[in-house]
Amino acid sequence: MAQERAEVVLNPELCKGCGRCIDACPKHAISLGAEINQSSGMSPVGIDYGVCNHCGLCITACPEPHGLGHHQYDFTRRADAQSRPESVPPRRIPLPELEPVVLEGNHAAAIGAILAGCRHVFGYPITPSTEGAELMARLLPQLGGVFLQACSEVATVNHMYGCGGAGLPTMTFTSSPGFSLMLEGISYLIGAELPGVFVNVMRPGPGLGYIGPEQSDIKLVCRGLGHGNTHAIVLAPTSPQEMLDLTFAAFELAFRYRNPVVVAADGYLGQITGRVSLPDSMIEPGLPGWAVWGDKAHKGNLNTSILQDWAELERHNERISAKYREMERREQRSATYRAEGAHTLIIAAGTPARMAKAATARLRREGRSAGLFQPVTLWPFPIDALREPLKRAERLVVVEASDGQLEDELRLALQKANIGGIPIHHLRHMGGILPTVDEIYDTVRHVTEVEH
Amino acid sequence: MTTSALYTHFARHAGGAGLKGASTHYCAGCGHGLAHKFVAEALVELGVQDRTIMVSPVGCAVFLFYYFDTGNTQAAHGRAPAVALGHKLANPEAIVVSYQGDGDLAAIGLAEIMHAAQLGIPISVVFVNNAIYGMTGGQMAPTTLTGQWSTTTQDGRGPLQGAPMRVSEVIAQSDGAMYVERCALFDQKQRKRCKNAIKKALRLQLEGRGLGFVEILSECPTHWRMSSREAEAHVRDVLSTVFPLGVIKDEERQPWFTLPKPDFSPERVLAAIGASDAAPPRHCRGFPEHIDAADVSIKLAGAGGDGAQTAALLLTKAAISEGFDSTHIPSYGPESRGGTSYADVHVAREEVLSPGAPEPHALVAFNAPSLEKFASTVRPGGLVIYDSSVIRTVPDVAAGVRVVPVPCTAIARELGNARVKNVVALGALQEALRLLEPASLLAALGRSLAGKSEWIAVNEEAFRRGGSAAAGRS
Ligand code: SF4
Repeated sequence: MAQERAEVVLNPELCKGCGRCIDACPKHAISLGAEINQSSGMSPVGIDYGVCNHCGLCITACPEPHGLGHHQYDFTRRADAQSRPESVPPRRIPLPELEPVVLEGNHAAAIGAILAGCRHVFGYPITPSTEGAELMARLLPQLGGVFLQACSEVATVNHMYGCGGAGLPTMTFTSSPGFSLMLEGISYLIGAELPGVFVNVMRPGPGLGYIGPEQSDIKLVCRGLGHGNTHAIVLAPTSPQEMLDLTFAAFELAFRYRNPVVVAADGYLGQITGRVSLPDSMIEPGLPGWAVWGDKAHKGNLNTSILQDWAELERHNERISAKYREMERREQRSATYRAEGAHTLIIAAGTPARMAKAATARLRREGRSAGLFQPVTLWPFPIDALREPLKRAERLVVVEASDGQLEDELRLALQKANIGGIPIHHLRHMGGILPTVDEIYDTVRHVTEVEH
Repeated sequence: MTTSALYTHFARHAGGAGLKGASTHYCAGCGHGLAHKFVAEALVELGVQDRTIMVSPVGCAVFLFYYFDTGNTQAAHGRAPAVALGHKLANPEAIVVSYQGDGDLAAIGLAEIMHAAQLGIPISVVFVNNAIYGMTGGQMAPTTLTGQWSTTTQDGRGPLQGAPMRVSEVIAQSDGAMYVERCALFDQKQRKRCKNAIKKALRLQLEGRGLGFVEILSECPTHWRMSSREAEAHVRDVLSTVFPLGVIKDEERQPWFTLPKPDFSPERVLAAIGASDAAPPRHCRGFPEHIDAADVSIKLAGAGGDGAQTAALLLTKAAISEGFDSTHIPSYGPESRGGTSYADVHVAREEVLSPGAPEPHALVAFNAPSLEKFASTVRPGGLVIYDSSVIRTVPDVAAGVRVVPVPCTAIARELGNARVKNVVALGALQEALRLLEPASLLAALGRSLAGKSEWIAVNEEAFRRGGSAAAGRS
């Protein structure tokens, strides 16, 4: 009988000497060791092979996977390096020429996500973003997708971490207080280099604030995405059309950089209904080689943000940082309206940029030299495109629905670009009040006349 | 010979160098290693190793991915079940295991595990309970025993720190948790039961029946300040009296979890979106320049339920199908569920810029507070239409503003449906303002009532009656 059993082998270097095997051995063949193993620094147990009948019960009691076994552990053996499978690229499917549709901004973003291939949406209701989740809950089951209502925003972002980590496009709708709660998870997404799209339909704070339109989270999305050295591309739409277009684009960017992307819309943009033209193609997602998908091919993959070795963690940060620099080089987006040669340049994003455009048109009709520069990416700030209109501009007027958060981004960008000396004026509103066309017009006239 | 889903060489543990490439980072006698071995063996025995994703927690098991030769994801503290659900919904074929300690699962991650257990989406949860925070150095856990010393309960866990939480019993209350068992590791019999329990939880997932939850009372000799063998005895004699061992819940449920494959056929997608390549017929000959050269703004205001938003949306849709740009922005939030509700509409030749209507060309007011609030904002030469069935007094308006009373409610009642008063108002607005053509609005109305054809006649009649009333023909 005993001969048929595989031999029980102790690997003394791997035994920590805990002794849990001692009581497991019915033959009392094992005892605590007295000598310190020179390579492990521990005192391994000893087995009396005169008594041991190789029943193997000690192996089941040993917490070390390779402490006790049936053969000597081979320290030279290395597992075959698991090769990462080829990525399956996403497929672009052409669409016929379609009539414009009439969509609410939240719905437009949802449809942008669907056209970008997103079939997995997680969310927690919060005004003024909820219609996006509601539409997803209605449409996704028709398209073999899933909308899961999470128990919180904290859970939402972690559902996304799992789903995005599996290599699929995933997104959520939220608004400022909910976005605050997601920051932890966003930091983890960035650390683990996972994609995910966040449509943040911003509302006023601090705290519960209320539900009107505000650009309250510019600081958060540009400078405060959780702990660590974090950044994400931040896209600021101005219309239902751009809610669709920029959400659509956000997925491509999220996968290109393996990083979250934020669509930062003020509350008005969630609620406004307007004309939307559909893109000329839609996307069927592929499967990236790095995905933790749950099959043999992807088995060697790991999503994590913990790196114990400080030097390695610094290198990891440097690699992420290199992605940020590439985003800064490649992904700046902006729009202008009559900015060329303008002496007064209005800087505005999101809904306030619409009012600023109307005010610019009026100023120009009256022969006043005004123009609009509209950052579409709030991060990276589109400083490169600003250089040209800055050559002629004599002053800037930042128009925003926050306490200078956009202006801070502008000032930082100017400072980093070594551009100084230009006076910066501002018009700000908060609490849900947006700057009006008249106010912008008056402000521009006032600052122009005061300076002269 | 035991086959197992653990790596033979732990390449991720300190780069796999030296002894670390072959031994765990756990303390001597720690129960985690055993729990790992039993999960790993069960995965192989069920033949699911290749499609398994292990979700590591934060805690001593944070480096689970050093050991498991499976797909691996490391989650934020307490969020492992949420991450696991993300994986399971992304790929329902994956076998997903959320492996968590007591701080992770029972303190910071309570919401996530409760939600997962209630949903019952088939994942497997391995809950290692050693009644202490190991990784951070021996602080109180939710499961720390009454009177137990820890670095944050220097005099033993007292009344102010509450009593130990019996997690499995709580989880068993959840409808989605089909199988809940509490096991231990202190002797051969318990170890065997533990492995079988893990296997059963995994099989439950494999069959798509629900969430399986295995709590393992595990030894932390280091922070219990005991030898390994004392720690085993402590589980046997003390821990398991507070946390009774055994099956707590074992229910049969038919396999239910299936997900369809995501659909990327453009036809299906466009149908779901409601997109079409058919151009709607146009009725307007040009932009209504008699109102404004480029951009007309209208405010519709009333109580929630007056239909101001619906009427505004109809206007927007009709204008867009005429090839103009148009926007609708509602007052939103709790007001729109009962209080005052107003909608701003713009119709622009080229592009609507500012979407609000602080100085509208026309106001439609369904109740007195709305008229009171907005009548004076209507720009000189503009138009005010109000429901004269419910509004008695008209406030001052700017010079040249035309004020048109329309008994919207009375007409709607005559038509037998008080809810069409907003369409009465739309008819009146069309007649008095001539923003679009009647046919554009009637077509938009027809599209919005698609599938409810029985409502078309009364709405069309309401529209006509509103027009007549505004023209003074009623
Ligand atoms: S601290 Fe406790 S739980 Fe952590 S590895 Fe050591 S014995 Fe195990």
